[in-house]
Amino acid sequence: MASANQENDRPQNIRAIMTFLREHAPFSSMDDAHLAHFAENASIQFYADGDVVLSPDQDVVKRFYVVKQGRIRGERHNEKEDRAETTFEISKGECFPLAAIIGERPTRTLHRASGDTFCLSIGQSAFVTLFSESEPFRDFCLRGVSSLLDQVNRRIQSSAMASIGSSTSLDTPLERYALRNPIVCSPDLPVRKAVARMHENNVGSIIVTDENRYPTGIFTLRDLRTMIAEGTAPLDTPIQQVMTRNPCCLPSHSDAFEAAMLMAEHHFAHLCVTDDEHKLIGVVSERDLFSLQRVDLVNLARTIGTATHLHTLVSLRTDVSRLVDAMLAHGADSGQVVKIITTLNDVTVRRVLELNIKKNDPGIPFTWLTFGSEGRQEQTLLTDQDNGILFQTPEGMTEEQVREKLLPFARKVNDELAECGFTLCKGNIMASNPKLCLSDKEWDDWFIRFIDASTPQNLVYSSIFLDMRAIYGPMEPLNGLLDKVLTRIRKNALFQKMLAGNAFQRKPPLTMFRNFRYISEGNKHSLDLKRQGLAPFVEAVRVFALANGVETANTLGRIDELVTKEVFDPKDANAWKEAYSLIQAIRMRAHQEMLANEEELTNYIDPDDLNPLDRRILRESFRQAQRLQQKLEVTYQL
Amino acid sequence: MLDQIKQWIEHRRSGKIGSHDPGNLPNPKIPGEQLLTDCRLIVLDLETTGLNPSRDQVIAIGAVAIQGGIIPLGDQFDLILRRPELDISETVLIHGIGPEALTQGHEIEDALLYLLEWMNGDPILAYHSAFDQKFLEKTLKAQLGYSQPHTWMDVADLMPAFFPNTKTGGKGLDNWADYFGLEVSERHHAASDALATAELTLIALNKARGEGVKTMKGLHDKLHYHRRLQNMHRF
Repeated sequence: MASANQENDRPQNIRAIMTFLREHAPFSSMDDAHLAHFAENASIQFYADGDVVLSPDQDVVKRFYVVKQGRIRGERHNEKEDRAETTFEISKGECFPLAAIIGERPTRTLHRASGDTFCLSIGQSAFVTLFSESEPFRDFCLRGVSSLLDQVNRRIQSSAMASIGSSTSLDTPLERYALRNPIVCSPDLPVRKAVARMHENNVGSIIVTDENRYPTGIFTLRDLRTMIAEGTAPLDTPIQQVMTRNPCCLPSHSDAFEAAMLMAEHHFAHLCVTDDEHKLIGVVSERDLFSLQRVDLVNLARTIGTATHLHTLVSLRTDVSRLVDAMLAHGADSGQVVKIITTLNDVTVRRVLELNIKKNDPGIPFTWLTFGSEGRQEQTLLTDQDNGILFQTPEGMTEEQVREKLLPFARKVNDELAECGFTLCKGNIMASNPKLCLSDKEWDDWFIRFIDASTPQNLVYSSIFLDMRAIYGPMEPLNGLLDKVLTRIRKNALFQKMLAGNAFQRKPPLTMFRNFRYISEGNKHSLDLKRQGLAPFVEAVRVFALANGVETANTLGRIDELVTKEVFDPKDANAWKEAYSLIQAIRMRAHQEMLANEEELTNYIDPDDLNPLDRRILRESFRQAQRLQQKLEVTYQL
Repeated sequence: MLDQIKQWIEHRRSGKIGSHDPGNLPNPKIPGEQLLTDCRLIVLDLETTGLNPSRDQVIAIGAVAIQGGIIPLGDQFDLILRRPELDISETVLIHGIGPEALTQGHEIEDALLYLLEWMNGDPILAYHSAFDQKFLEKTLKAQLGYSQPHTWMDVADLMPAFFPNTKTGGKGLDNWADYFGLEVSERHHAASDALATAELTLIALNKARGEGVKTMKGLHDKLHYHRRLQNMHRF
């Protein structure tokens, strides 16, 4: 009977405890036998609000606890201010203490119940048994929460893998990526005109079709090369005399694998895709098929940087998103990924500027500035334009005259960037705004007003204009400007305090009871990962950075420099960087998912959609933001 | 736990323990100066075929122990009794114990003897304990001829005694469990209800400690006082 059905043989209460444990890491990855061992050896204890559970005054820790209901607060005495500081909070399904039970020493932190709390606990011998027999348990105990972070990262990677897998999969029907309007011509068109049409459209091949749109031939750049090299025919020959007849065709429901095989077999670089009536609907090139599989950064950057047409830049944006998937899958952390996105975005912006200068040079040197997340090099796929122009007024011209020349140019660039997927800025923080296309003198005045006469409206702008970077044109004018701005802020304690107060307003989305605080939006629970999750870090770090003369705009870079300047404790800084990166990673994964579902990109997520582990990590990350804000509060006596 | 019972039953059958007559069973303890932080309490819940003790029968016994203010899950009792003859069609929907489970249950005498041994004469707590007390005493008398009086305490009195004026929206186990946010794994499963009752008891014992109630007798008196107060209000 014992072996017949183990699960039913276990008493109800043991089964219930096992069910509870299974919902939480690390128990979720443990074997049933080990969970049963835990449950059978567990005790249930109750602590009323404020009761001490473990204290540094007690002896060596002999029990290992899991919160069954309620919360446990870790308290440390802050010597400087002589008050108790909450160092961590442990909620339902979480374990404590780890270091103390493994180190066989008393706890260093006072553990106190926060609200009515039930804990499950096991004694040392059961703990040792599980520790030696269960690998997930041992891993968790030794590496603590960081082992959970690994799990989150692993899952981000595996879901990114899955999405790459589906896009590279060679069983994708051809119609999925061949549905572009192919460049076609009639059989009697002279070669010269056909080549002109190819050039105009920046393509390497042209399909010759008859009056029924049946493909009768194909002519490629390679054919042109042969034709000229061998002098077989003059350029005004009708194309049907030099084209390759009966081009290779596949119906649109064939898959990429068939296409690849056909190309490999015949060394074709192009295939016609036809509908069921054999009418031409598109062309697939070798590059189309294989760019799906290998997207590498250098190549992509080079392709963007040398693109000759706006529409090429637009089409390369999908490659950027694919690259993000690939990077996440290969284990890049969110900090690296946002930098890569920013790099590629920079290249795109530069190329748009270059192409426009080529077409229509305004004739005045300028520095293209970017603000906000782009300025901080923290862009994700969802990005809007925040840019401006800094120029030096040439002799004999007024600033207004310079603007007359630069503004139409900037307008065109803003519009073209919008086509490339950089949404137009709703607040009109764009170079084409006359208020943001300024000379160095005007910018300096602008910042003086900004810093000396801070209004609430100004402070809203602080998150944009105080994170500034030049991405095109000479750098020196901006460096000069930044020097002055930073010096002014360092000297202005009042402005710092206002900035700090402003940053302090941006509360992480946790309630007093450590649940998520939702922004109300109908019935759906949602969190804004950018404004509620990342902004508290970005804003608080900016205050410390500006006050301490840190020039970098990147948040993680600023944190590093603040450690070097001994403003931040290295341990705190690490926790903050980790928390910030995790929120960013969860946000990027959400973006990739939205993209895959062809939804509009937003920064909103519903924590209920996350698994318990992600929810817990997210909550812990928000708590780190609270700690950073506490530092702000203490430093600036808010 | 089941292994313990099986072992015990095997021992008994093989004559190693010897046949228990009621006289050899542990004596019920009287609430005296035992410290609450030391003593063991039994928290028990029965599932029955109905509400009428003179007609209905016990079909499942679930119990957990509280030892020094904590619930050791290794020390519990969770048994369905073998009662193939019973008609449980009326209540099967409530406790979910079907005829098949009843035929596979434990021999009732064995189970009751084991229960008495396991309880070790410690005070018994239950939610609306009068009900469980009547059923258990009747069953013990009928099956084993056992009639020693045990100390019973009602958790339905214990809670309002320590948490007066608490708006729970009712007097039931569910009301208090909801009020304290307890998760009852499977309501109307004897062992699961017993655990929920025991968790409420822990909350009450914590409060008792805060109010300076330290001994079994103190706890008993507090309950007695509360009941008298209730009765006075009734008139």
